Amino acid sequence: MAGLAASFGSGAMTNSLVDLEGSDTIFIIGSNTATSHPLVATRILRARENGAKILVADPRKNQIADLSHLYVRHRPGTDVALLNGMMKVILDERLEDTDFIKKKTEAYDAFKNLIEKVDLDAVSKICGVSVEDIKTLALTYAREGSSAIVYCMGITQHTNGVSNVKSLANLAMLTGNLGKPGTGVNPLRGQNNVQGACDMGSLPDVYTGYQSVTLGAANKKFADAWGVPELPTKVGLTIPELMSGIEKDEVKALWVMGENPVVSDPDANHVIKALEKIDLLIVQDIFLSATAKLADVVLPGVSFAEKDGTFVNTERRVMRVRKAIEPVGESHQDWKIIQDISNLFGYQMNYDSPEAIFKEIAELTPSYAGITYERLEGQGIQWPCPSLAHPGTPILHTDGNFARGKGMFHAIDYKPPAEVIDEEYPFWMTTGRVYAHYHTGTMTRRSKSLNFEVSQGFIEINPADAKTFDVKDGHRIKINSRRGEIETRVKITKRVEKGVVFMPFHFEEMNVNKLTNPAYDPIAKIPELKVCAVKLEKV
Amino acid sequence: MDYKNTLTTCTYCGCGCNFFLESLDGRLTGTIPCKTGPVNEGKLCIKGWNAHEFVQSDERLKKPLLRKDGELVEVSWDEALDFTATRLKEIQKTNGPDAIGFCASAKVTNEENYIMQKFARAGVGTNSVDHCARL
Amino acid sequence: MIDQVKQKINELLSQGSVKGVVALAYAHGHAGPCLFQKGDDLDALCLGDEKKAGDVRYPLNKVLITLARQYPDDVFGVLVRGCDERGLYGLYRLKQLEPDKVVPIGISCPRDLALACECKKPWPDDMTAGEAPNEKESGGTEQKGVQDVEGKEQPERFDFWKDQFLKCVKCYGCRDICPMCFCYDCSLECEDLVSKGDLPVDIPTFHLVRAMHMADRCIDCGLCDEACPVDIPLRLLYKKTAEVMNHEFGFTSGINKNEISPLSLMGPMPEK
Repeated sequence: MAGLAASFGSGAMTNSLVDLEGSDTIFIIGSNTATSHPLVATRILRARENGAKILVADPRKNQIADLSHLYVRHRPGTDVALLNGMMKVILDERLEDTDFIKKKTEAYDAFKNLIEKVDLDAVSKICGVSVEDIKTLALTYAREGSSAIVYCMGITQHTNGVSNVKSLANLAMLTGNLGKPGTGVNPLRGQNNVQGACDMGSLPDVYTGYQSVTLGAANKKFADAWGVPELPTKVGLTIPELMSGIEKDEVKALWVMGENPVVSDPDANHVIKALEKIDLLIVQDIFLSATAKLADVVLPGVSFAEKDGTFVNTERRVMRVRKAIEPVGESHQDWKIIQDISNLFGYQMNYDSPEAIFKEIAELTPSYAGITYERLEGQGIQWPCPSLAHPGTPILHTDGNFARGKGMFHAIDYKPPAEVIDEEYPFWMTTGRVYAHYHTGTMTRRSKSLNFEVSQGFIEINPADAKTFDVKDGHRIKINSRRGEIETRVKITKRVEKGVVFMPFHFEEMNVNKLTNPAYDPIAKIPELKVCAVKLEKV
Repeated sequence: MDYKNTLTTCTYCGCGCNFFLESLDGRLTGTIPCKTGPVNEGKLCIKGWNAHEFVQSDERLKKPLLRKDGELVEVSWDEALDFTATRLKEIQKTNGPDAIGFCASAKVTNEENYIMQKFARAGVGTNSVDHCARL
Repeated sequence: MIDQVKQKINELLSQGSVKGVVALAYAHGHAGPCLFQKGDDLDALCLGDEKKAGDVRYPLNKVLITLARQYPDDVFGVLVRGCDERGLYGLYRLKQLEPDKVVPIGISCPRDLALACECKKPWPDDMTAGEAPNEKESGGTEQKGVQDVEGKEQPERFDFWKDQFLKCVKCYGCRDICPMCFCYDCSLECEDLVSKGDLPVDIPTFHLVRAMHMADRCIDCGLCDEACPVDIPLRLLYKKTAEVMNHEFGFTSGINKNEISPLSLMGPMPEK
């Protein structure tokens, strides 16, 4: 998000999902679309049916790669090198959109200087992708017609995550593939309401609609609306910073609502240690998750089926959630739990429904100003929607009018990941999801049908490596990184190449995040979940 | 006999598929994809088709839990809420507002996220509110 | 047409001859399945006309099975098109519904819809509203979809289906939306037939196991096609299996109220 915001002025998906159907070329990088976003794969496959070229770059050969016209397997963490190589080809072949660059962007020269120095043979060696494939990728993406970029956590969960995203933005601007149907830079949101949580100011530096806490005007506006003399102007702590704050005895209490950092966050042993240490851990959840087990107090909230409210999907579409059944047991509405505690704490809140809260959100948030529950009936509304008469915004930055004025090029050099393989830890480990499960598995593993499909965790290893370790499908194997050790089942597959292993992170009893590296991107603070170095040992 | 289909939005990934939660006499019996949903147009993935299954799991938390003598035990809502508010107040007073952190959520609604960051900022007085957007 | 349907439902409910009527209602800007009960407002009733007449269809018989399993002694009305009525006949045969517990409220399909479906009989025998066109007008007998694929050479056909099956994301939507799928134990979940845990699914086993299972069941409603997130032409596959059934055994699922499937003729194992 930080990367796109720096380039375009807004961190959200630029185009609509349906829009992808009309693309002439779709470049998918770091997204296992068919597994993690099947209904986005729908649109991509329709584009394919319509004759679009599908390009896939991913260290793991996933299902969408099987269906692509060109698949390249670059090494984990080498995205910037690959993208710079592609842009070098585009410049060499004079395929850049000079008109777009001149009129709609800035800082192009520094970027161009850097790209011109890129050596394709060196790139090929870093990425493990042939020069010919890099050329085909570049020429296909830059050809006539509309080209869209689709990416996911395979791009962002790196210490170079922001650089990766800025490089994708560079690629789109270089070829003028923005602000038009079938184009854009489109991050797929991993969780149902990541977009909404960001929009709502569940971030340490902004209120709703990305209004900065450090700006006097916004600060005063919210203080007035919320009936307090002043609001803090110092940017707060991110989750990784909160964890280290606990260690340093600066953070004494943590309230976790509907998340499971013990399983989802990198270096789980470290997270557990911090949460065991903290004075007060409040967990609000629907199940006794691994995180809830460490809590001082557990507050039972309700699932999506028991509540009213709104979610925002990956294309900025605000959509209604409606209550289907009464809360299970004595669980309470989550908004009510917070309101009750706030009132006991001494800060008065008197909402009578989620709709009343939404009205306040719309009043304080320019991009939501025109949205009401009534208007959300039917198809929902894509923000920005500044007034009641506004229909919403399916495509951002139309005609190259970026939210930040002009699109910003960034000159970005390739940097290796924070941890690289060595003699002691000779395997690249990468992580992700499987089709039947979701995130830390607290919901899907309690679903009979989904648990039937995949009931245990596993590690994918290449047949050649399996031979070296003398293991067969189903055998157990021990995996060590500098941070921890786990044991799991072997699954032999050519989806991963020799020297690379993959594990899904849904299974807390074989938690791959005990191995992953908490080193994070300096700007976005996203941890490097997609790359770490491990060693294997037959059990 | 109370048979209902409630139109809602999926709780799993960020696609935003619409479906009906089918319920009979207060129990969820199925998921039916909404034909006219703008994203999914009557289609779902395996997670969506089974989105009703975990909701009424026996493992759902049904009462608040409070740690007493090292164990989490069931307590009344009054006790749990009082404990939480009192301890937060104590820590805020002794260690200052920035000693309290909030982990809001990409899983809950906008309204719930909003009200949590409002409590953090206006109630407690800290901007330390984040969620797992990065994961 | 909708007024006649409303009138019929009103009659059934006010006479108390049914416990409720399964039909479509319009709410929150979308049509969806609904159980109308005595005293309910019928203003929300709709026939699923979104962009074109009848283009929004739901497996109402499946809803009926859910209700019948919980309330086996009650009688329910159900809105049916030609395909839905074929479904009812099939479900009577397969002992999932009892004819004397179901009151169909039949409507015919508009010509556009019938043509798009290549439907052989786009109207129910028991019709409350609409009219049965004569065979020629319905235009439904031509099976162009199947003919087109059969016109291809064998290797090309093979590649076509392989490419289609390769897209499958194993959502089981084809089964879950199917009004004729009601088994507690599903062959698709039998590990001796189909492996689990990875994508793509076993090619072609997964889809052919289902196709075999649909041979004497598929009533050609097309809901599977509409539910497939990767646009696999499932209906085409099942149309072909239905054609084989018809060609070899003279059997068409759901066309006759008192049908017996040739696949069930063997019956139970003879006693020794």
